[in-house]
Amino acid sequence: MALFGASALVIALFPSAHSRTNLVAMAKHIYTSTWRVLPWFTLATALFSLVLIRIVLVTALSYGLSQYALEMMVRVLVLELIPLGAALFVALRAGLAFNAGAAAPATHAGRSNEPVDFHNDVVPEVIASAFSVLSLAMVSSAIVLVLAYLNVYGLTLWGLVDYTRTVGRVFDPAVTAGFALKTILFGLAVAVIPMAAMLELSRQEGRTRSAASSTVQPGAMRLFFILLLIEAGSLAVKYI
Amino acid sequence: MERQPDSPSSSVPANVEFKAVLLLILMASLIVGFVLYVMYARGVFENTQRLVLLSDDSEGVIVGMDVTFSGFPIGRVTRVELAPDGKVRILIDVPDKDAKWLRTSSIFTMERGLVGETRIRAFSNVLEDPPLPPGAERSVLRGDTNAEIPRLVATARSLLENLQTMTSSDSSINSSLADLQTTTKRLNGRYGLLGGALGSDEEARKVIAALDRLNALLSKADQRVFGKQGLVDDVQVTVVQLNKVLGGAQATLKKVDAVLAEAQAVGANARIATEDLGTLRAEVEVSLRKVTTLVDEVNRKWPFASNKEIKLP
Repeated sequence: MALFGASALVIALFPSAHSRTNLVAMAKHIYTSTWRVLPWFTLATALFSLVLIRIVLVTALSYGLSQYALEMMVRVLVLELIPLGAALFVALRAGLAFNAGAAAPATHAGRSNEPVDFHNDVVPEVIASAFSVLSLAMVSSAIVLVLAYLNVYGLTLWGLVDYTRTVGRVFDPAVTAGFALKTILFGLAVAVIPMAAMLELSRQEGRTRSAASSTVQPGAMRLFFILLLIEAGSLAVKYI
Repeated sequence: MERQPDSPSSSVPANVEFKAVLLLILMASLIVGFVLYVMYARGVFENTQRLVLLSDDSEGVIVGMDVTFSGFPIGRVTRVELAPDGKVRILIDVPDKDAKWLRTSSIFTMERGLVGETRIRAFSNVLEDPPLPPGAERSVLRGDTNAEIPRLVATARSLLENLQTMTSSDSSINSSLADLQTTTKRLNGRYGLLGGALGSDEEARKVIAALDRLNALLSKADQRVFGKQGLVDDVQVTVVQLNKVLGGAQATLKKVDAVLAEAQAVGANARIATEDLGTLRAEVEVSLRKVTTLVDEVNRKWPFASNKEIKLP
């Protein structure tokens, strides 16, 4: 899995490795995994965040701790919940696609005994999945930051200085780097682990011809465990 | 196995590459914008001046916390370090636009409440003073709620002990309340306020008996004074007689007035007589002087007059 991930990463990072076919395939995957779901995911995240923001704000106001409400919203939603939510959403969507038979080309190829084109099929999908996690997390975070401002200060610009100061206090260099690193790791995990598991499964099926008809996406448990590990590690580094 | 419409190789629009590039540009701009915004929020683009606060305890002070002036954040803690003399040096960056609020006479406090983070505040009462120079070092005054708690507990304990002493069964308040209860009972007793004021019903009874005797005495006195042939009648007769005596005295005084008037007339006559006497005396003196002159003339002209001339040998 690590070898697969490293190979995909190396191919992705070198522009000379990308052919026209490869770029078109990558564009198609980005369109499918990000463009199509971005509005709905952003809307769902905004609604969910709005509920949480209201709960935190009303509770903080009732206890006279409103000065900490904004910081708590940013820390909980932007730094923790939204990246994790984006990663889980992309993983869940890939799992649903697998169950519906529209899975990754590797698995599809494995099941249909077609040869797997690592360069033109697998790598674009890996890149698109990682990009999807990053995009969903970034756009949703931006929307949530705006929602938090509107909920706390209302439709006025007078709170911008105070709000900016609070955001600046939360995003110190270590936290910002941790946030970026965590989101990238989430993206890589969601992109690499299921794909590597599918390739492994296809090789096993090619040898044994057992035709495993499992409806569970390969590597799903491993993925969730890794996501949990990244999140726990991030929390431990930040707060312990 | 059929591909679902979700698959990238099916039902893909013609401008998918443009949308993918658009998405990439959007993400890149979003990331760059967010990084710039965070840098701006952390004051990376602001010119700052350094302020060093000296304290004996750095508990609760964290990098990134605000320094406020009148509730507005004007600076940010950038570093906390331990000086060689054991003091804590809190390094604060104050943006140039907010440095005007800090003066040489400014006071800095560090407050630590029971709930919430430690707060560093600046107070500038005289804004006409010279501005605080860059790199200035100031001591910070500490106010720790936790440190106040033991003193507060000791005071509260003393207060509670006093309260316990006050509310014990043999306390002064209880005795006073018992006395008050006794007094209230007396007030509600047969003789009411009189019994309460005098201390017992027996005393009150004596006072009432004395009042009865006083009433009897007053009735007798009334009879003797205002009754028939009482003191008032005698006084009335005496007053009538006194009026008569006064009338006689008034007539006598009138006579005395007349005598005095006559005496005044006699006095006036005597004064006139005295004035005439002076004139008479002057006339007598003139007459005597004339007689003397006449006698001297006779003596000179008289033949037997002796020669008084003395002739020397």
